[in-house]
Amino acid sequence: MKPLSHARSVAVCICAAALMATTASACSSGNSAGTSGSSTASGGTLTIQGDTGNPSLVEDFNPFTPSTELHGAFLIYEPLEIPSPVNGAYTPFLATGYKFTNPTTLVYTIRPGVKWSDGTPFTPADVVFTFNMLKKYPALDTTGVWAQISGVSASGNDVTFTFKAPDVPFANTVAQVPIVPEHIWSKISNPTTFADTNPVGTGPFMLSSFAPTQYTLKKNAQYWDAAKIAPSSVVFPAQASNQSTNQLEVSSGQFDWSYTYIPDVKTTYVNRDPSTNSYWFPPGGTIGLFLNLTQAPYNNVNFRQGISQALNRTAISQKAVNGYMAPASLSGLILPNLQQWLNPSLPDQGLVSQNRSGAMADFAKAGYTLKAGKLTGPSGTQATMSIVLPNSFTDWAAAATEISTELGQVGIKVSLDEPQYTQYSQTTQAGTFNAAIGGFGGSGNPYTDFNQALNSSFATPVHTPTVNNFERFKNAQVNQALATLAAATSKPAQQQATDRLEQMMYATVPIVPLYYGGSWGLFSTKHFTGWPSASNPYTLPTNYNNSLLTVVTHLVKA
Amino acid sequence: MRYVLRKVGLFIITLWAAITLNFLLPRLMPGSPVDAALGKLASAGVPITNAERNAIEIQLGVPHASLFTQYWDYLKNIVTLRFGTSYSFPTQTVAQTVGKALPWTLVLVGVTTIVAFIIGTLLGVYAGWHRGRAADTSITVGATFFGAFPPFWLGLLLLYVAAFKYGWFPIKGGYSPGTSPSWSPSFLSDALQHSVLPAVTLAVTTLSGWVFGMRNNMINTLGEDYITFAEANGLRGRTVALLYAARNALLPNVTAFGLILGAVVGGSVLVEGVYSYPGVGGLLFTAVTNHDFPLMQALFLVITLSMLVAIFVVDLLYVRLDPRVRSAA
Repeated sequence: MKPLSHARSVAVCICAAALMATTASACSSGNSAGTSGSSTASGGTLTIQGDTGNPSLVEDFNPFTPSTELHGAFLIYEPLEIPSPVNGAYTPFLATGYKFTNPTTLVYTIRPGVKWSDGTPFTPADVVFTFNMLKKYPALDTTGVWAQISGVSASGNDVTFTFKAPDVPFANTVAQVPIVPEHIWSKISNPTTFADTNPVGTGPFMLSSFAPTQYTLKKNAQYWDAAKIAPSSVVFPAQASNQSTNQLEVSSGQFDWSYTYIPDVKTTYVNRDPSTNSYWFPPGGTIGLFLNLTQAPYNNVNFRQGISQALNRTAISQKAVNGYMAPASLSGLILPNLQQWLNPSLPDQGLVSQNRSGAMADFAKAGYTLKAGKLTGPSGTQATMSIVLPNSFTDWAAAATEISTELGQVGIKVSLDEPQYTQYSQTTQAGTFNAAIGGFGGSGNPYTDFNQALNSSFATPVHTPTVNNFERFKNAQVNQALATLAAATSKPAQQQATDRLEQMMYATVPIVPLYYGGSWGLFSTKHFTGWPSASNPYTLPTNYNNSLLTVVTHLVKA
Repeated sequence: MRYVLRKVGLFIITLWAAITLNFLLPRLMPGSPVDAALGKLASAGVPITNAERNAIEIQLGVPHASLFTQYWDYLKNIVTLRFGTSYSFPTQTVAQTVGKALPWTLVLVGVTTIVAFIIGTLLGVYAGWHRGRAADTSITVGATFFGAFPPFWLGLLLLYVAAFKYGWFPIKGGYSPGTSPSWSPSFLSDALQHSVLPAVTLAVTTLSGWVFGMRNNMINTLGEDYITFAEANGLRGRTVALLYAARNALLPNVTAFGLILGAVVGGSVLVEGVYSYPGVGGLLFTAVTNHDFPLMQALFLVITLSMLVAIFVVDLLYVRLDPRVRSAA
């Protein structure tokens, strides 16, 4: 650990105490992008796989366009801070730290001495401008910042956000908005259609050359932490439209960092150059069986518990992702990422293993018994279930096939419905499905994960679409626990509310967690080291979101 | 003249029907462009939220007007050649997006189609003339063998062997990463190298159709009285084969060729997909997966238009080529 400057270490620890309350880990991981610049060896080209050309790349570095495919934008525009999607620990960028003066007032201290890549000084006014622009153009507000904040203002080196209601974890969302320069963006008539071809940002890299099949960023010599940046340039080649070609290219070793699911990774990737090739597949979300809680018998908690006990999660994960991912805990937390928040009273860390007799007992409580091999309900008909999933997600399809076999063994008649993603999306959001395979969580923050999956306010009536809580779970106690957690600023209060949510999740099974969704990072240490790994899990190995910035600022020349 | 007028009338009615179908079909697909955009994020593992959905909805500007109003606007836009902005590439007009992809497909698929037609037809003439002999057998068996290959499968095979395993040809794309299209000799030779594998795939798998068509026409024609008459007159074998038999046997193949040329602008979705070629086929695939109505409409319009024009031209050509058509009209 390098020493932190005093102001920074205080700020980081305040934020840790206030929100994540994981002082040690937040401080140590905040350190790694630190200002204390002992100069490291630098130079060399970093090649990153993953940008999708359809069929060729379009030059547009606008960081607010959800359709933009140019991941290089994450290295050009910086946010205030980036919370780790693993455990929520913050890495500061344009802010040196933040504090809640009360649960509805969030104050960021802006980093002094930062310049835009055109030489203009970066000021708190740029931050205020960026947020006000998102208010004026809701199309740019992809994370819904203005749904929660009511105002933003600057004074001195501070930027203050006022919230409509207490929502401490929402700092997570505010912190990640990329900041753009007022002196350029204020002159743009319509930022929603602005093709940013000459991006000016504060980030460690700036655009060097662009071609429809590949673009190159070069190091920004004026970057506030330039001494810590190892690569002198970053190359983003366009991905092939054909997945087999991508896998061939990845295994041929032309990338320093790729993000691809490869079956049998040891043979196809690591063994091609065991001295440099490595992989890290940490959990990045939870894959679950979503039951439509507006329909019988899924609205019966005993029935859901029966289903949960009837499943062999190890076998499901084996079929779906070669067993790379562990069975999911029914606490709703992603383990081991969020181990620190785990409710100690849950048996076996919330893991439930297959228990057919237990399942039959639960089904009996719900009024369903086995008659001639069929699980028969009070009306005398067999329990049926149609599971919907998108046809392009092959791992989900493999999981669903295994589920249908296992549920068939307890007498439920399961059918699979595999439409295109668009239809899957429509059916699940409208609530007209029976059961669905889906994903949830992965923000690194228990509140955000639980809130999006369980908050009743998202549970719209059937036929009114909702992305979050599409299983339509409604529970006053859960809502209360969520509200308590949102307003909690002390670690014990946060832990208490999180424990309650985990307990409720475990007891009422609003979603049947199956296995963890993987994050498929493949690294080569030929040119650079310092990649995230199981022993240093500072972020997920995803190269298509702002983890890209966190990782690149951690790299060291090999 | 009446024949020509009738054909023009038919052309206009078909055009209207095609344009209308072109409007309706994409909208009959389940799900919306917003769902498609969310799907892209979800498949990348991004946790999606209601806020994201709202923002995308506003950003795409997905129309909420009635189908009839949309249809009327669509017709007006076609007449004024305005295709709007695509959902997949929001910072480009549809015309720009299509314009970038079209040359690649026209050159690759166009040249391959012409080459396959010429080689296939010549092989067919040869096989037909030497029917029943060793040359005929080997050409027929060879064409059956290669014609039975699914193009994408042959494509993957060539890609693995010739590009990945031995590195003789580039593995993907229309040109090397980092270069931009230009007319410089170095770029053209680079592009040529990239086009070899897709061209071979397309040519090999389409060749057999021409071979069989021509061979069978030849055999039919060779049974005609005027061939026997020509032979009896002591004309040289080659003269009879090319000037008497092949010339007449060619007619049905020319019709088919015209139709296939019309379809060239549609590209080859599978082969372009396998090689990540920057052409219309790949673009069409992107448009469909993204529910990109404006882009799909423009592409389908270009494809149907060129198809209809090709049919129209072939119809008119027949007036010249075949006196029977003229007298029937």
